[in-house]
Formats: sequence, C-alpha cells, structure tokens
Amino acid sequence: MSAVPVLETRGLGIRFGGLKAVDDVSLSVPEGLTLGVIGPNGAGKSTFINLVTGHLKPTSGTVLVDGRDLTGVKPWVIAKARVARTFQIVKPFRGMTVRENVAVGVLYGPDGTGRMSTALKQADEILAEVGIFELGDRPPGELSVADARRLEFAKALALKPRLLLLDEVMAGLRPGEIEPSLQLIRDLKARGMTIIVVEHVMKAILAVSDEVLVLNAGQRLMLGPPREVLSDPQVIEAYLGHKYATRAAQLSEAASAALAAPTPTPTPTPNAVDIAEEEVGPDA
Amino acid sequence: MTGFLQATVYGLLQGGLLALVAVGFSLVWGVMNVVNLSHGAFVVLGAYVGWQLNTSLGLDPFLGMVIVALVLFCIGYAVQRFLINLVVNGPIFITLLLTFGLELLLVQGMNIVFTANYQSIPTSYAGNAIVLGGIQVPLGRLLAFLLAVGITVLLVKVMANTRIGMSIMATGMDRGAARLMGIRARHVYALTFGIATALAGMAGTMVGTVGTFNPAAAGGFTLLSFVIAVLGGLGNMYGAMVGGLLMGLVQAWGGYYLSGTWVNALAFLVLVIVLMFRPSGLVGKAFYAARVEV
Amino acid sequence: MATVTPALWRRWGPWALGLVGALAALGLQTQLYTGQVRTVATIFMFVALALSWNLIGGYTGYASFGQVVFFGLGGYFAAVTMTHLHWSFWVALPLAGLAAAAYAVVIGIPLLRLRGHYFAIATLGVAEGTREVVINLDGLTGGGGGITVPTVGAAAATKYLGNDGFYLVYLALAVLALLITGLVSRSKFGFAMRAIHQDEDAAAAVGINTTRTKVLTFALSGLLTGLVGATYAFQQVTIYPERLFDVEITVLMVVMVVIGGSGTVLGPIIGAVALQFLSEWLRQNYTTVHTLLLGIIIIIAVILLPQGLVNYLREARRNGDYSLLANVRRYRL
Repeated sequence: MSAVPVLETRGLGIRFGGLKAVDDVSLSVPEGLTLGVIGPNGAGKSTFINLVTGHLKPTSGTVLVDGRDLTGVKPWVIAKARVARTFQIVKPFRGMTVRENVAVGVLYGPDGTGRMSTALKQADEILAEVGIFELGDRPPGELSVADARRLEFAKALALKPRLLLLDEVMAGLRPGEIEPSLQLIRDLKARGMTIIVVEHVMKAILAVSDEVLVLNAGQRLMLGPPREVLSDPQVIEAYLGHKYATRAAQLSEAASAALAAPTPTPTPTPNAVDIAEEEVGPDA
Repeated sequence: MTGFLQATVYGLLQGGLLALVAVGFSLVWGVMNVVNLSHGAFVVLGAYVGWQLNTSLGLDPFLGMVIVALVLFCIGYAVQRFLINLVVNGPIFITLLLTFGLELLLVQGMNIVFTANYQSIPTSYAGNAIVLGGIQVPLGRLLAFLLAVGITVLLVKVMANTRIGMSIMATGMDRGAARLMGIRARHVYALTFGIATALAGMAGTMVGTVGTFNPAAAGGFTLLSFVIAVLGGLGNMYGAMVGGLLMGLVQAWGGYYLSGTWVNALAFLVLVIVLMFRPSGLVGKAFYAARVEV
Repeated sequence: MATVTPALWRRWGPWALGLVGALAALGLQTQLYTGQVRTVATIFMFVALALSWNLIGGYTGYASFGQVVFFGLGGYFAAVTMTHLHWSFWVALPLAGLAAAAYAVVIGIPLLRLRGHYFAIATLGVAEGTREVVINLDGLTGGGGGITVPTVGAAAATKYLGNDGFYLVYLALAVLALLITGLVSRSKFGFAMRAIHQDEDAAAAVGINTTRTKVLTFALSGLLTGLVGATYAFQQVTIYPERLFDVEITVLMVVMVVIGGSGTVLGPIIGAVALQFLSEWLRQNYTTVHTLLLGIIIIIAVILLPQGLVNYLREARRNGDYSLLANVRRYRL
C-alpha cells in the first residue's frame, strides 16, 4: 500500500445558488480500500461522485488523485488518470452494439489504442468478465435492467481503472441479481482495485465495504467501519428519520435489558441495516 | 441629447411591441421544447388578416385584432394538434425542420395570395403624435405599446390564475406528472400553440399599423423572437417583456449611433453574448423542458 | 475467383460503390447537354454540402443551423482575394476552405458548449451577424451591391472554368467529402463523434476529449462547406451577401441529410440527389408554387421518415416492419 492515497478530497464543496449540495467534505481513500457511501436522498452522494469525476466543477476545495491536483478538470482528464465511474441512470451509447460501447472506452481510455480490432477483442474480454459476453452484438436498448447495469460496469472497466466509482449499480435489481454484482466487486477488490460504492442497498454496502462514509445534507456525517457506522444513533436518525431513531433506541434498551437478564441467547444490537431492510426494503 | 431621448422613447415603444411578438414563441419553447421557426410567419399572417379586415370591411385594426386573434388561434390549434404533435417527441432537428417547412408553406402561400409587395394598415390617427418636451410620441405606437404590455400582463394573470393556464404551466414543468393529474397533453399543447399564434397575430396587426410588412419579413420576426426569448428566459412571460424592451432599446440606440446596417449585426451579437454567459436568460429561471446544459 | 464475403463487402463495398459512382459521373458528363451539365453539377454541390453538414449535425449531433456561414465565408474569401489580390482560383480555393475551418474553430470553441436548440440558433445568429458584417465592409466586399470576380482579360488570374469545368470541381468536392466521411466514420475518431451524439456525458467519462472532438469536427465540416462556397462564388461570378449567406442553403443541407438518413455515409447523398432533383423538377414545372410544394414535401417527409430513408430501411429490415406509421407512432405525443 503506497503512502499517497488514491483519492483525497479537501474541503470539497459545491453550491447551486443558495443550496450547498456538497459541503466541506474531506476524506482520504488509500489504495485497495473499498469505501461505501450512504446517505438519505438528496444527501449529495451522486453530486460527490460528479465532483470527483469532473462532471461538476467544485466551488470550493480540492480533489487529489494519486497526490495530483485534479480539481475541476474535465471528465476525460479524470478518465485518463484511471478513475472510472458508472452513472446512476445508465448511459449506454444507443446507436452502437454492446461490444462497441465497451470498445469506445478501450479506444479512448488511458492505454488508448488506435486499433479497432484490438479494442473489440479487449471489449469481449471485459464483457466476459462482467458476464454479458453473449450479448455483445445486441443494441443496448434490448438489455434487461440488470444487463444494462453490467454494461455500465463494463464501460467503466474498459478504462482499466485504479479507482472505480460505482453510482448505485444495484438499484432496481432483484435480490437474485445482486449477488453476481457483489461477487464482481469482490473480485476487483481482490485484484487490489480501489472502489467507492454509492448504494442504497444496505446489504451490498455491508458485504463489500471496508469503511463507510455517511453523507447528510451534503456534509460528512461520519466515517468508519460499516457495523460501527450503521449502529450510530446519529446515522440512524439522518438516514431514516427521527421516528426510527427513537424506535432503535427503544429496541436497544430492550436488548440491553435482555442481555442483563439471564437469557442465554443475546439479541443482536439493532442497526440501520436491519431497520432499513425491514421497513423500507432493499431499494427504497 | 434630444436625439438620444427620442431614440430611447422610440426604442421602448418598439420594445413593447417586440415583446408581444416574442412572448408566444417563448411560451411554446418553454412549455413544449419546440423552437417554432414558423412563428414569424404567423406574425405576418396576423398582419395580413388585420389588413384584409381593414381593406374589405373597413374594420379598425385595433378592433379587428380580436378577430385576428380568433382566426390565428384556430389555425395554431389545428397545426399543433394535427402536425407538430406528430413529431413533438423526436430529436430537435425534426421539430425545427417541420416548423421550417411550415414557414416555407405559409410565406409562399402569402406571397401568392397577397404578393410580395409591402403593405401597411392605415388609420386616421396612428400617425398623429403627442409632443412632450420636444420628443415625439406617435399615437399609433403608444397605443400599440400599451396594448402589447396590457396583453402580456393579462397573459401572465391567465397563466397563473385559470385552470387552462395552470394546466399549461404544469405540462411545461413535467409532462408525465401533468398527465397523471388528468391533463390531456395533446389538447394542452394545441391550446398553448393556439394562444401563441393568436398573440403573434395580434402583434402582427399592430406591426402593420405602425409600419410596413411583407411575407419576407417572417424570418426576421422569428429570429428576433428567439433573441428576446433567450434574453428573457424561456417560457418566462415577464422575461419576454424585459427582453423585448431591451431589444427595442438596443436597436434604437444602435440605429442612433451606428452607421449603415451595423445595427442588424448588433442584435445577433447580443444573442451570442447572452447565450455564452447567461444561457438561462436574464430574468429568472428557464423551464425544466428547455433547460440548457452547459 | 474470389468470393465476396459479407465482411469483405462491408469493408470494401462502399469504396467500390463510390469509385463506380465517381467514374459513372465522369462518363455521364459526356452524355449531357449544357443545361443538364449545370443541373447535375448543382446536385454534386449539394451532395458535398449535405455530407459536410452530416459530419457535425449527423454524426456528432450538433445541429448547426448557421452552416451557411462557412459557405458564405469561403465564397467571399475566394471572391475578395481573386478580385483585389488577383489570386488564382486554385490558390484561393484551398485557402478559402482553411479560412472557413479557422472560423469554425473560433466560433466553435464558445458555441459548442451549448447544446440542442441553443447551439442551433446561436450558429444561426452567428451566420446572420457575419452576413451583416460582410454587408458593412463594403470597401472590401462590395457590400449589398455584390462583388464581381474577374473572369476574363488581364485581371483574371484564372479563366472562367465553364460548365464542364465546374462540373468536375463539384464532382471532386463531392468525392472528397465522401472520402472524408468514409474514413472518419470507420475510424476511432468516428466512434468519438457518435459517442458524443449518443451521450455526451458518458463519452467524456470514458476518456473522450469532447471539446476537441467537437471543434475538430466542426472545423472539418466548415472546411468542406467553405470549399464548396468558394467554388460557388467563382461559378456565379457576381455574388451578393443575401445569396451567399442565405439561410435556405443551410436548411437544404439539413433537409437532405435528415431525409436521406443522418449519421450515415449514404443517406446525405441519397437525400441530396433526391431533393435537388425534385426541387429542380418542381421549379421547371410548377414555377410559382414550387417553394410551397417544397414546404409540404419537407413536412410530409419529416413526419413519415423522421429517421431518414437509410436508417428506416436498416431498421425495417432488422425488424421486418416496413410500416411508415411505426415512425409516426414513435415521435408523436
């Protein structure tokens, strides 16, 4: 692990008129880490990704990639610095085949080749990796939701990224379709890729993240190991509202009481994950 | 100094009229995301209908305007309902081309029916002028200005306070949601276009009373409408007022200080500068449908 | 005897067709009488223009409604340098193209930041504004009264080319435009253009320098349009700002590309040939109402074939559905 973090933000922020969509977010992502980002709707998660990848220009703060200041540069400069992203709303090139969609990334990525045949061959390898090799000749419009998200994944991987930002790649997937995506993230992680996962699906965050960042109203609310963050009362309140926070506290008391009593089976500490799964469902 | 003041007064009067020329264009663009290249042709058509009513029935143009508005509303409603609605979800050059085809059709049609000669709608009083401190205020222009401003204000009130107005605004903000609320988008779009052409027609009649017109003038009105709509912010009717006045002043001052036809280049310069630095217009925010991405 | 495989055909077929077409056009010239030579030359002119608009409007998706500005600029560049500096047409022609390309870069850098209607109309504004500037620089351009290129005598560095000469120049320009389109559409650069058209944010996210791609495409498109404009100016001898910057020329380019099929190599050619042929026929047979009929044809074509003939046939063959009403269903409210 190198000493210089792959991504570092210092006081990063953007305001739209009077609204501070992202406000003074500082963080450091060392190589190989998988960082989960959660927060209620409108917390600034996607905006944060857009700021890092150059799709929005920050109004304050800096973005450092491998120690290089890349604040406010254009998205393609970020892409050439081996930072790849997916879009929450999938953005395929609709007039190209699935294979060509990925080939564009190979052609224009950091190792940009000029040879079409090489690019197409590499695209096929990436498609196989994400599990949609057999769909290479189809237009992206014919893909299912899950496959369209895999294509989004594949387009990002075409850049051979060191840092991968995934903006809700599991939203709208059925439970059975989530596992392959998780496995893919685990594989990339095993290869040493640094990953930032923005996700509503708590199970996914929990399954792959080493650390979790909680954003609320554009600000960094908390950063820490997943279990710890998700059982924090402040996070529960921010994420699920006051009602749930109170309820969680009650449950917690009940659990303590249960622990105090001589019952052999301890009730696990309730946390945001359980409540979210129970009350809101996986992709609320 | 008097010359400058005279130019300013003239610019403001002309600007009010230009605002009415453009307000319908802005409305259509804001609500439907359609840039109507035939807008200027409807302005000229309005002038011809007013002129025809005046020559064959002797109807005063400022009264005839009501009939002009009705006629143009019907035409506009039908055009949107049966033509533009067919391609309204297509890529932009589809709607641009369709309305351009319509412009060719209307302008050539008018050329054939009314000839390419310049016309004007004469009244006994429009040429008279009030003189204030050495500054001439022609009566016809003053009347046109007041009416134009009045109609624009009325339009804003209608949009904000009536069922139809609110349906139009709601559809412009989010068509999907408006449909869910039971608003029939096809009808609302046609209404919007009809209102826009009616306004254009009235503006055209007034243009005819204070100056001359011919079918070839259509393109110029469309471009001016575009500039004004962008200046004012799309779909923003008060914005169109501001944009119109500004454009009137730019033209009047440009005409006062610049030689030759440099003044014509000035309008486009203003347009490009505004697009560069404030694409959402000088006044307020643009509609969702027409929001610019930079 | 080599068999023609589909892959081989895909790779070389269009080039072979283009070559055959160009040769046929050369042969055709000998078979035409004078009036027809001029008409066919005009068709080539529009083929070149439509192909050049197709680069920026069709492939890259930026509907330049001020494209005529490059036509006018190229034309005036040639006319002014040939008149005042007595340049040879063969020197003025390439430099006129380069001047138009340079202008495309200058206006493209700010304007290509705009999208959709805003870009369309901003370019239209620039075209109209440029025309006014040309009118007002009357010392150089002759203003509204026009400028006449010397074609005979000592003042003329290049003798008038005549119908046959212009036929060849326009044909060469059409072939050049076709060549550039063919090369670009299959290259890495072509992928970038299409990616920008289909989703600009996603294109930037996979490493495409969208600004550079757009500006270069605009310049290439401007270059070709400028070359055609310069040729047109010499052919007309006397040129006026109203004609050289006529917005109708832009619209014809757009219509031809849209009707034929935007973002394809063949579409603009088909569109240009068909529309120019039709327009000429209407002009000869229905002189007074021909523009009116043209308007109606545009309206019908746009409603029934919004994606253009080539794209329509391609999709129809894939889906086995040749119904034109399917097109209407797609874009109607």
